[in-house]
Amino acid sequence: MNNMIEENLKEMIKQAIINANTQISEEIKPFIDQYNGPFSNVIKDNYRISRSTGLPLCQDTGMVEFFCFLGVNFHLKRPLQVILDEAVSEVYSVSPYRYSTVDDPLFGRKNRLDNTPAVVHIICCAGGRLDIRFLIKGGGSENLSRLFMLSPSAAKEDVANRVVEHIAESGARSCPPLKVGIGLGGTSEKAMVLSKLALTSSIYKHHQDPHYASLEEEIKERINSLNIGFQGLGSSITCYSTHILTHPTHIATLPLAVSVDCYLCRTGSVTFES
Amino acid sequence: MKVELLRAGEFFLYSGEMIIMRDAAQKRLSAYEKCPIDLKDKIVFYAGPAKASPGNVIGAIGPTTSVRMDCYLEMLFKFGVLATVGKGIRSKRVTGLCEDYRRVYLIAPSGCAAALSQCVIRHEILLFEDLQSESIQRIEVEDFPLIVAVDSDGCQLF
Repeated sequence: MNNMIEENLKEMIKQAIINANTQISEEIKPFIDQYNGPFSNVIKDNYRISRSTGLPLCQDTGMVEFFCFLGVNFHLKRPLQVILDEAVSEVYSVSPYRYSTVDDPLFGRKNRLDNTPAVVHIICCAGGRLDIRFLIKGGGSENLSRLFMLSPSAAKEDVANRVVEHIAESGARSCPPLKVGIGLGGTSEKAMVLSKLALTSSIYKHHQDPHYASLEEEIKERINSLNIGFQGLGSSITCYSTHILTHPTHIATLPLAVSVDCYLCRTGSVTFES
Repeated sequence: MKVELLRAGEFFLYSGEMIIMRDAAQKRLSAYEKCPIDLKDKIVFYAGPAKASPGNVIGAIGPTTSVRMDCYLEMLFKFGVLATVGKGIRSKRVTGLCEDYRRVYLIAPSGCAAALSQCVIRHEILLFEDLQSESIQRIEVEDFPLIVAVDSDGCQLF
């Protein structure tokens, strides 16, 4: 029984990975269709060609990053990491995608030829469901990830300034318009993970606390006023949306993590009930 | 290609040859005194294509972030490279090098790899095959869209 659940789960994940690599997000498509600046024809042709041929939207088909909300009553026989690595390996082996992972980060950097391992975050929850969200993010946007350990007395302007300065300096390198994920609080690595998880949000989702919702809007507006634009060439918007996720923190700290996703926003989600 | 005639901001469609290489291959080349392949008057495209589907010339292909390879640009110019193609703004050092060597930096549309693969009519691996998508490769393209980001006077678009 469990094996069947695992096989079904794997097949659903595989299909979702294929969709994210080859189908432009319905949320993002109107922004691309409205864009008329430099390279606009090829940008529009690209998603049509990708859809009709199965070629990926971008040659950088990413290191796949999963966020798994695992209910305590949802039982698997094998570790989720193993199942998800199998899904990634099977999709990337038969699809015209790129193997982008190397074995050792410093010495050798030999290509692993199956695009594993996936980066898997497991968040334990009540209930009997497994909710998985994932990001297919290329190296170009990943290289913009930053951690700033702010002073605990920092104000919201300090948070906004640090994020906007970072995008002003480097945003053009990661294929804007960008979705910006912000992790605030926790510890250093907690903030980083939250900033990534924030990138799985719909661009229309806002923080439920009005203070944070207004800070998200303020940062988005300020990034857009940088006029970096599509491809960094100054036309149209620079930022689709900004998402803040928070966590309680230590009295002496205020970690601020920033992650960005490129204009393609290749994300997906799968829900599974036991 | 007469790169001295190109002006920052200019859009054009390029047809001809490009040599693909990125970080790993350039790191290896930097250990050579004499370049093991002929790069004189070549255009280097910073890219690492995805796998090809059966029956296709090449897989999805597009520019990667150029700034990471700024440290190898002078080496390429000394090997005779005329132009580099990539994505994004580069360091100030690059504008100086383009002016000193009278060479150019061009940008191709990023995140458009399915569309750009349709411009490639020939593809072969030249060197460092063990690097997989990061090996040195040769392609021939037709009507490949480019914009001049840094011209040979050191003027830049960004």
